Amino acid sequence: MDAHNRDLYLYERLNARVLGVSMDDVITSKYFAQSLELEFPLISNVLPWMGKAYGAYSEKPPFLPDGTQNWFGRRTVVIDKRGIVRYIKDGSPDNKEILMFLLKLEKEVQGK
Amino acid sequence: MKKIRKEEIMERKIRAKWSLATWGILLAVVGVLNFGCVTMAPKKPSVLTPTDRGTVVFLDKYEFKRPPEGWLLMQNLEGGDFELGFMKFEKGDFPSQTTFMYDDKPYGGSRDLEVRAKYYCTRFLFNSGIDSRVTKQEKLTINGQDTIAFSMDGENPNRKEKAKSKIYLVKKGNRIISFVCTQWRPLNGAFSQEPFDHFEAFVSSFKFLKKDFYEEIEEKIKELKG
Repeated sequence: MDAHNRDLYLYERLNARVLGVSMDDVITSKYFAQSLELEFPLISNVLPWMGKAYGAYSEKPPFLPDGTQNWFGRRTVVIDKRGIVRYIKDGSPDNKEILMFLLKLEKEVQGK
Repeated sequence: MKKIRKEEIMERKIRAKWSLATWGILLAVVGVLNFGCVTMAPKKPSVLTPTDRGTVVFLDKYEFKRPPEGWLLMQNLEGGDFELGFMKFEKGDFPSQTTFMYDDKPYGGSRDLEVRAKYYCTRFLFNSGIDSRVTKQEKLTINGQDTIAFSMDGENPNRKEKAKSKIYLVKKGNRIISFVCTQWRPLNGAFSQEPFDHFEAFVSSFKFLKKDFYEEIEEKIKELKG
């Protein structure tokens, strides 16, 4: 999250917007966003239709190190202007890779 | 019959000599090939290359004054919390050690130095349970770049350890980078100044020899947008 926050100015120049999605409730998500001083929106998706739609939801919950259940795996999805999923990566986001991919998409849009 | 046997024996001896010679040649060829492989293999580039200025160059990316022998190089191979650093295990009970590093992605997202410093302090050493407080803060420039330097120290009585840190948050183009030194001691241990002196020499001598990823991508975006 910190990394996306740091790279927001580059995302904006590449005409991309960041959206975080979590199964946490609104109050928890709000507190989380405030504590990390996030400058992009978080969506509270308690009924995990978004996680299911983008393949981040797992029927069998993996467990976090503290023993709590976690149905959403970490997944980064890049969707282009036409709504087509162009990039998927599980695990911690690789911000340099994402930026290079967004640059490629922007080149596509500009026909270069 | 005797004659025939004699000839056979001679023939066998000649064959044996030839087969020995063949094996010898083969072994020599294999030896040459192996030797060839060793010399043809690409040499691993040295991570730290000394210069005649009393500094070292790290992977053609940075130049700095390295601490003396006994300090171990820490290098991030998979892209994580820091870019490179050094550590030293010191005399005394656990955890008597000092680490210092260059980190190009310090905690936080703000590109405003003061805002970033304020946030950084809330995250620094948080997971260690050290109750860190800022003991000194000042604005200065390092190599002409705006910087906020702060000293922090704190204790974790439950783990019977304490830490003392010096942090530089430096404005570099549109981003903020950091240099961080932390010294760990048991609660009854005494901090020492010498490792911090090596850290200061590391920071003041640190030079960027290449454009970093972010400077390059900014240029590419500029080119694209015209």
